[in-house]
Amino acid sequence: MNLFKNLKIVILVIIVLLILVIIRNSNQNIFKQDVKTALDAAQNNSNLLSPDQLLQLKSKWLVVNVGGDDLPDSLRIQNSIRLPFEKLLDKSNLKILQEVEGDLILYSADVTTASKAWVILNQLDFKNVFILNINTNPEELKYKFQPDTTARLE
Amino acid sequence: MDARIKYSVLLVGIGIILAFLPFNAAKSFRLKPTELLSKSSSDDIYFSVDQVARFMNNEDSTVQIIDVRSVDQFREFNIPGSINIPFSDLLDPLWQPTLNQKEVKNIFYGNADQTASYAWTITTGLGYPNNFIMKGGLNEWFKTVMNSQFSGEKITPAENARFETRLNARRTFTQINSLPDSLKTQFFNAKRLIQSKLDGGCE
Repeated sequence: MNLFKNLKIVILVIIVLLILVIIRNSNQNIFKQDVKTALDAAQNNSNLLSPDQLLQLKSKWLVVNVGGDDLPDSLRIQNSIRLPFEKLLDKSNLKILQEVEGDLILYSADVTTASKAWVILNQLDFKNVFILNINTNPEELKYKFQPDTTARLE
Repeated sequence: MDARIKYSVLLVGIGIILAFLPFNAAKSFRLKPTELLSKSSSDDIYFSVDQVARFMNNEDSTVQIIDVRSVDQFREFNIPGSINIPFSDLLDPLWQPTLNQKEVKNIFYGNADQTASYAWTITTGLGYPNNFIMKGGLNEWFKTVMNSQFSGEKITPAENARFETRLNARRTFTQINSLPDSLKTQFFNAKRLIQSKLDGGCE
C-alpha cells in the first residue's frame, strides 16, 4: 500500500498518457490511411464509376452530390442527396456518410470537387467510395498540338 | 522512495503503452480533415492559364510549373519551363524537396483538372505548403492561350496586354515544343540573350 502511495504521481502520469493515447486512437476524425492507397486508386482509375456501372451495381448505393449543380437529367436516380463540399465534414453530414449502407458515390458537375472529396474520404478510411464519372475519360486532351515544322534556332 | 525506482516505473509504463500502439510506417496526411477541406474549398488554390502564361513568358523564378502527366505525354509537348513529376511518382522521396518547400509556388497541371486536383489534395494533405493548380489544365491552355482570337473593333489596354501575353506564350510554346530536346536549352539561352539586348544589356 505504501508503495502505491509513493508511486502516486508516476501512476497518474501513466494514466493520463494512456487516456490521451486512447482518445487519439479512437478519434474518427483524423487521417489514418496510407496515402499510397489513394494514389494507386486514382492512378488506375479504380475509383471511377460510369453511370452504366452505377445502374448495374448489385449492392446498395447512395449518390452524394458535392457540387453546386443538380444531377444531369440523363441520370434520373432516386437515391441521391446533396451535401455542399465545404460542409462535407460537418458533424451531421459526416454522420449521414458514415451511415450509408453499401457504396458511396460522389458526384459533382466539375469532376474536381468530387475528386478532392474522394481523396479526403478515402484518407478518413471510408470504404467503397467512388466518383461518378459522366465523361468517358476526365483527363482526355481535347486538342491536338500542331508542331511548327519550320521552327529552328535563330 | 528512490527516484530511480519512480523513473523506472514511469519508463516501463510508457514502454507498455508504446508496445500496444498500432505500428504504422505508412505515410498519412498531417493536416486536420477540416483544415484540408477548408483549403480545398478555396479558390486561392488556382491560377488561371493567363497567369501561368505570364509566369512562363517572364521565366518567373518564384514559380515552378509541374506537369503531372506521364513521361511520354510530357515529352510530346509541355508548358516551356515546366518539370515533369508524373502523378505515379508523387510520393517518390526524390521529389520531396521540390514539393515540400516554402520558397517557390508549385503549380500542377494535367490535361484537365482531375489529376492535378488529386496531386494538390495529396501534397497539401501531407502538409506541403505552396502548391497550386492551373485551372482547366492543358485543355484550358489550348482553348485560351493557343486558340484565342480577338474579335471586335476596339481593344482596351488590359485586353491588349492579355492578348500580347497569350501571343508570346503561344509562340514560345509552339517553337519550343517543335524543337528536338537537345535544342530546347539553347532556345531559352538565345531568348534570354535577345531580351538582354532589348533591355539595353551587353552581348
